[in-house]
Amino acid sequence: MVQGTLDMLILRTIVIGPAHGQTIAHAIERGSENVLQVEHGSLYPALHRLQNRGWIAGFWGTSENNRRAKYYRLTPQGRRQLAAQTSRWEQLVHAIGRILNPITEKQG
Amino acid sequence: MNWRRFFRRRAADAEQREELEFYVDVTAEEYVARGMNLADAKAAARKKLGNATLIQEEIYQMNTLTSLEGVLRDLRHALRIIRTKPGFSIPALLSLGLGIGANIAIFSVVNAVLIRPLLYPAPEKLVGVFNSAAFSGLVIKDWPLSLRMYAAYKEDARSFEEFGVWTAGTATVSGLGEPEQIPAVSMTHGVLRALQVRPYLGRWFSNADEIQGAQKTVILSHKYWQQRFAGDPRVLGRLVLIDFVPRQVVGVMPRGFEFLNLTPDVFLPQSIGSGVPGPDDADHSGVARLKSGVSLAQANQDIARVLSIWGAREGMRTYLEQLRVKPNVHPLKQDVVGDVGAVLKIFMGALLLVLLLVCANIANLAQVRARARHHEFAIRAALGAGRGRIARELLAESLALGVLGGGVGLGLAYAGLRLLVTHGPAALPRVSEISIDSTSILFALACSLGSSALFGFIAILKSGLNSRLQNARGASASMEQLRTQNVLVVAQVALALMLLIAAGLLLRSFVALRAVRPGFTHPEQIQMVRLFIPEAQIQKPEQVAQMQADILHKLAAIPGVTAAAFTSALPLEPEHHNGNPVAVEGKTPPDGIPPNRTLKIISPGLFAALGAGLIAGRDFAWDDLLRERPVAIVSENMARENWGDPRNALGKRIRISGTAQWSVVVGVAENVYDDGVDRQPPGIVYFPGARRGIAFAIRSRRAGTEGFLREITASIHAVNSNLPLAQVRTLNDLYNLSMGRTSFALVLLGIAAAMAQTLAIVGVYGVLAYAAAQRCREVSIRVALGAEPGMVKALFVRQGLILACIGGAIGLASAGGLSRWTSSLLFGVTPVDPLTYGVAGGVILVAALTASYIPARRAASLNPMEALRSD
Repeated sequence: MVQGTLDMLILRTIVIGPAHGQTIAHAIERGSENVLQVEHGSLYPALHRLQNRGWIAGFWGTSENNRRAKYYRLTPQGRRQLAAQTSRWEQLVHAIGRILNPITEKQG
Repeated sequence: MNWRRFFRRRAADAEQREELEFYVDVTAEEYVARGMNLADAKAAARKKLGNATLIQEEIYQMNTLTSLEGVLRDLRHALRIIRTKPGFSIPALLSLGLGIGANIAIFSVVNAVLIRPLLYPAPEKLVGVFNSAAFSGLVIKDWPLSLRMYAAYKEDARSFEEFGVWTAGTATVSGLGEPEQIPAVSMTHGVLRALQVRPYLGRWFSNADEIQGAQKTVILSHKYWQQRFAGDPRVLGRLVLIDFVPRQVVGVMPRGFEFLNLTPDVFLPQSIGSGVPGPDDADHSGVARLKSGVSLAQANQDIARVLSIWGAREGMRTYLEQLRVKPNVHPLKQDVVGDVGAVLKIFMGALLLVLLLVCANIANLAQVRARARHHEFAIRAALGAGRGRIARELLAESLALGVLGGGVGLGLAYAGLRLLVTHGPAALPRVSEISIDSTSILFALACSLGSSALFGFIAILKSGLNSRLQNARGASASMEQLRTQNVLVVAQVALALMLLIAAGLLLRSFVALRAVRPGFTHPEQIQMVRLFIPEAQIQKPEQVAQMQADILHKLAAIPGVTAAAFTSALPLEPEHHNGNPVAVEGKTPPDGIPPNRTLKIISPGLFAALGAGLIAGRDFAWDDLLRERPVAIVSENMARENWGDPRNALGKRIRISGTAQWSVVVGVAENVYDDGVDRQPPGIVYFPGARRGIAFAIRSRRAGTEGFLREITASIHAVNSNLPLAQVRTLNDLYNLSMGRTSFALVLLGIAAAMAQTLAIVGVYGVLAYAAAQRCREVSIRVALGAEPGMVKALFVRQGLILACIGGAIGLASAGGLSRWTSSLLFGVTPVDPLTYGVAGGVILVAALTASYIPARRAASLNPMEALRSD
C-alpha cells in the first residue's frame, strides 16, 4: 500500500460511524474488492498514531458479539484532515494519470 | 507523544494487548464460521496479525522520550566504563579533581573577598574617606584625617548622607571578673549611621556622647555581651569600667556584625574636645554614605572644595600644597579588601590555565582509549550505528567523568578552604566569609561541564569518527597528532619539575630555619604574659618598677618555675620593637650618625629565662634596676663589630644618640633572632629598668597548661587585682608564627607541585599508551619474529625517558629563572641547591619511568597472533 494512504483510508472508513480495528481492516479490504490488503502489523500502530494526532478518538465499547472492543471515531479535526488528504490524493492521481496517459489527454 | 501512555505505561500496555487479542479472537471466529477448527483458526488469525510484540514495540516507541532514555543508557554505560577501566579513570579523575578543586577553592576566595558585596544595607553607596599626599618621593594613598578635618567635612561636605571617622585600638575592662584587654574601636556618631547597621539593643551613638564631661558611654558587640553579660537584656544602663573609667552601656550590636574587617568587642564614642588637634594627629579613618545620585568623582570634587576651605580657614594652605594633599574618596570595599585583589586574580588565571592543561591531558587519554575502541566503533558503524550515536556516547562518557571529577574537586576544595580559613595568612581579609556557597557550586558545575565538553569534543574530533570509521584496519600512525602530544608532555614535565624544585627548596629552607639557634631554647616552655600598669592605677614610675618586681617574685615562687623575668619586648614581638642609634665612646661613624640598634629594657634573669647564654661579663642585678645604675649589656654581634672580641667590650661605654648619659657595658649576650628566624639577628642593647607595659617570660615545663595559667593569674592579682593579662601565649606560638610565611608558601607550592606532578604522569602515560596502541602491529611482528619482552618494554620506556629528559632539561633551566622569584622566601639554601635539583629530577624520572612502564608492559604482553588477527 502506498505510504500515507493507510491513514486516509482509515479516516474514510470511520466517516460513516465508529468501528473497531478488525471492522476497519475488513471494510478497507472489501471496499477495495480485496485489492488492498491491510497489513495488521501496520494497522494498529497507524490507529495509535492517528489517535495521538487527535484525528481519531478511541473508546471502549461492546462488539456485535457482546465483547469488549476498542472503537475509533472521527474527530472534527480528523474530518478536516480527511477532506484535505482526499483532495490532495485526487490531485496526485490526476497528475500521475496525465503523465501515464498523455496521448489519451491529447485525444480527449 | 501520549503522556498518559508515557506515565501509565503498564495500564496502557494492557489495553493494547487486549485490543490485539480481541482482533485475533474476532478473526478466528470468522475463520471458524468459514469451517476451520478452532486451533487452526487461532493460528491463522495470529499469522494474519503478524508479530504482536513488534506492533506493541512500535507503539511503545511512539510514546517514549527516546533521546532521554538514550542519554540515561549512555550515562549508565559511561559509568560502567569508568568503573571497569581504572587505569584510565583514576588518573583522569585525580587530575580533574585537583584542577577543578583548586579552581573552586580560589574562586570561593575571590567570590567572598572580591565579588560578594559588603554585608551592609546598600553597600554600593558606602565609601572610605581619606586623603592622598605626595612628598619627597613618597606617595601616601590612604592618609587618615585629623579631627579638625573631620569637623570641616562634617560641616561643609554636601555629597555625604552620613559621615564619621574611627580609630581601632584596645581597651582594658575591669570590674567584670578578671580584668582583660580587648579590641575596641573609637568612632564618631556618624559611623554606624553611615553603615546603616542598627543596634540589636539600645541606640546608636549621638552628638551628646562626644561632648567631654558628659556621661561616658559604650556599645557592646553581641559576642562580648554574650560572654560577659550572659546575654542579659537588662544590660542597658549598666556601668562598665573601661580603662578604669565608668561607661554606661547604651547599645548592643547585632550578632555577627563585623566592623569593616575588624571584630572589636566594644565600640567607644570618639570624644571631640575643644582642644586644638593639629594636622599631625591625622589618624582617623573616614567612612561615609553617599547621597543618592552622587558619584565618586562628584564626591571627590566636593571634598576637594571643602579641603581648600579648611586650608584657608586653618592657615594650612601652604601645608596642603607642599604635601599635595588631595581627597581620596573610594569604595569602602577597598578598605576592607586591601590590595589582595590583584594577587587573587593572577592566581585564578593561573589555575584556569592549569585546568585547561588538565583537559588537554584527559582529551589525550580519551584519544588513547578511542584508538583502542576504533575497532568497536567501526563495527558498530558498519552495523548501522550513526556517527551521532557514537559521538553522543563519547560525550556522555566525558560528562560522567567531568561531573565525577567536579565532585572530587568539590570535596578537595572544601577541605582546602577549611585549611585556609584556619591556617591561612592573617593578612587575607573577610576570611570568615569564605565558604562554598551556591555561587561556588554553580561555578563548580560550570567547571565540570565546561571541562567535559572541552575534552569530550576534542576526543570526538580526534577519534576519527569523521573520516576514518570505514577503515578499521587503517592503523597507520598519525605523526602530527603524536607531535602535539609530545610537546604537551614535555611542557608538563618541565612545569612539574620547576614546581617540585621550588617546593623542595622551601622544604629545605624550613628545615634550615628549624635548625637555627634563635637565641632561646625550648620556646614551648616559655610562658609569656603582657601587663600594662596604667597611670590611673599607679602614678609614680618607681612604684611601677617595685610592683613589677613584686609580681616577678610571686611568679618565680610558683611550683615548677625555673626562671622568670620581664622585658619591654620578648624575641619575635615586632609590634613592641624599639630602636635607636647608639653611640660608642671613642668611635665616630663616617656620616656622624651611629648605627641603629634594638633597645630592650629588661629585668635581671631574662637570659636565664630565655635560655640564652652570656658570652662575657655578668647579668644585671636588682640593684642595677632599682637604683637606675648606668649599665648595659650588648649582643655578641654588636660587641664583635665594635671591639673585635666579646671580652674586650666589658668596661667600654655607650650611650643612646642624643642623650648625655653614658652606660658601662657589663655583659655580652648571645645573639637573638629578634626580627624573625629568617632575618639576620639585629644588634641589641639591653638596659636594666621597668616600663608600664612589659612582657613576662616564665620558664616552666607546665607552660601553656590551664592550671599553670590560673596560678600565674592568681600571683599577679595577689599584687594588684585590677591588672588585665594580655597576649597570654608561649614563645613557641611566636616562633611558629614567625615561620608561618614559609610554611604557608610551602603548603601552597606543595599542592601546586603535586598537581603538576599528577599532570605530568598522566601526560607521559597518555602519550606512551597512545604510541603503544599505534604500534601494536609493529610490536606484534617483532615479537613474532623473536623479540624478547624486555626489548619491547625498553622500546617504550626509552621513549618515555627521552620525553622526560627533554622536559626535565627545560624544567631545570627554567627553575633557575623561577628561583629569582622564590629567593626572598629561601633561607640557608642557595636557589641552585644541587641536592634539591637532584632529588626533584630523580622524582620526575621515577614518575616518568613508572608512567611509561605500564603501557610498555602491556605492549610486551601482547599475544602477537591475537593482535595481528584482530586487526
